[in-house]
Amino acid sequence: MTNPTGNSHALDREHADQIFRRLAWLLGISVTSYFLLVPVLGLNIAFHFYMMLWITMASAFNVSSGFSGYMPFGFVAFYGVGAFTTAILVKKAGLSIVLALPASGLAGVLLSLLFAPTLRLSGIYFAIVSLALAGICRLTISNLPEELTGGSFGLQLGSRAEPLQAFYLMMGVMLIALATILWLSRSRLGKALRAVRDDAEAADMMGINVGWVRLKGWMIAAFFPALCGGVEAWYTNIVDTETAFNTLITAKTVIYAVAGGLGTVTGPVVGAIMMSWLDELIWRRFPLINLLILGVATMLLVLFLPRGIVGSLLRARPQWRRFIP
Amino acid sequence: MSILILNGLVNGLIVGAIYAMLGLSLSLLYGVLRVVNFAHGELVIAGSFAAYVLFSVAGLPPLASAPIAAVCFFLFGWLAYYLLIPRLSRSDDPETMSFLLMYGLSITLAAAMLLAFGADSRSIDYEFNPVSLAIGPVYIATARLYALGVTIVITLMMGWFLFRTLPGKALRAAQMNREATQIVGVNIVRLSALAFAIASGIAGLTGVLIALVFPAFNPFSGAEYSIIGFIVIVLGGLGNPVGALIAGIFYGVAEQMASVFLPQALAQIVGFAILVGTILLRPTGLFGWRAMR
Repeated sequence: MTNPTGNSHALDREHADQIFRRLAWLLGISVTSYFLLVPVLGLNIAFHFYMMLWITMASAFNVSSGFSGYMPFGFVAFYGVGAFTTAILVKKAGLSIVLALPASGLAGVLLSLLFAPTLRLSGIYFAIVSLALAGICRLTISNLPEELTGGSFGLQLGSRAEPLQAFYLMMGVMLIALATILWLSRSRLGKALRAVRDDAEAADMMGINVGWVRLKGWMIAAFFPALCGGVEAWYTNIVDTETAFNTLITAKTVIYAVAGGLGTVTGPVVGAIMMSWLDELIWRRFPLINLLILGVATMLLVLFLPRGIVGSLLRARPQWRRFIP
Repeated sequence: MSILILNGLVNGLIVGAIYAMLGLSLSLLYGVLRVVNFAHGELVIAGSFAAYVLFSVAGLPPLASAPIAAVCFFLFGWLAYYLLIPRLSRSDDPETMSFLLMYGLSITLAAAMLLAFGADSRSIDYEFNPVSLAIGPVYIATARLYALGVTIVITLMMGWFLFRTLPGKALRAAQMNREATQIVGVNIVRLSALAFAIASGIAGLTGVLIALVFPAFNPFSGAEYSIIGFIVIVLGGLGNPVGALIAGIFYGVAEQMASVFLPQALAQIVGFAILVGTILLRPTGLFGWRAMR
């Protein structure tokens, strides 16, 4: 380079940004076109519906765990509350899904505001409290009057949802989630979140409103699982507390996100796609030991690939960190 | 009414003694390793299943299988430590990774028990003779009295071990200050393995007692006991075994009294609410002044 250093630095940065933007577009277009082709090629719609659901869940979890440094082991609370909000609004209030779904997202955000005091905890305390709060949500909903939540039988939505409609709806939710998180990773808020995660006191000194930044990240992380719960309730036509608040939902979300690598936009997407395929292959052959394999896979991941696929790649090639979303 | 309250109090003490065992082992583990064992409840239930197998296959009464379970789980814990924990320190964020690791272990154990025993609830139909004893106006199941006796013996043994023997003193030292303990020449890896093994041993034994005291168990009851264990160690101040003992009994009594006055589901919420409230209001635990001293 013959340019003066300052100028070349700026050029270099612009160049890196350009590559980043291209890769982001490439990611967006390839994910969109892949899922758009699913119905056209007559592939398994249910399988891909859940793949998109897990991509969304893992990506939202990543906002909390990767960007903000909180491990919510009760992540399923947002999902379950979203599922019940949609179910009640569609079944009891007779709303259409287009109106009920945003209300579910809102319910998730409201719940996150209710849980906001827990954000001053960290590490183990936050993890345990989050687990307990999910338990409280499940118990509260199962003790609400039966006319509202359907008691132990659950709620039948009677929504006559076309699988294909639900598929496109889920795709819309996933794309909005990915776009939001892509924006977040580059935005001022995203940088502030990472700064707060790494050193809250230093971030405070730099003039970042620590509490407010954490709260915003937390609300984003709560919004999307609530939407996922809503879409899934509409798709399967039934909700009950046992499945909507199943800890396995948290388990899968956490494992898929970690498998891809926390802290990057691509990580959870790669992890969710890969693990969904793995899950599908295992399920087909050995439905019984599915849970066992999930548990063993988690332990092996933590022990041998703690940074996940994308994280390990970035560790080996740190110079790519600037380009990869 | 007063007889109900008295009953609740007595049963609360017995159930609380078992919760105290959960808390004791969990706080020992957290104190030395700084690892929160999400798999603790599953280990406990594995102990219940061990008692179940020993009873239905070999005809051993639960009290005889208790020491066998304790030794087996001690060895399992020792092995599991060397397999799992040392690798953790290589990751960027050992604390988060330890949650995930233990989470994976808990899923694995629950799934293994599900495969081996099915999802049905089990119980051991071993009966003591007489089935229950009258103490004043209160009838208590003999099984529960034996369980209480075992917890007292274990507590005394652990007290002697922690306060009178050299390895026990090293464990307490490591809880207070890990680095300083290393400086005076304690092999922290072996000490941690010992803590993990003892905690697992007590967990297995607690499982046998749970099979005696509670009506039934299934592969998924583990999560419940993990959460109770968390509640107890948080109440007692993390990593404080004495606090955990007191908190366990306190929580057992509170839970049993709540179930006397409140409907079942609400009583469960009370437990969670105690946990959340304590963490938010008094994060050092009910006896926080002790932990800080």
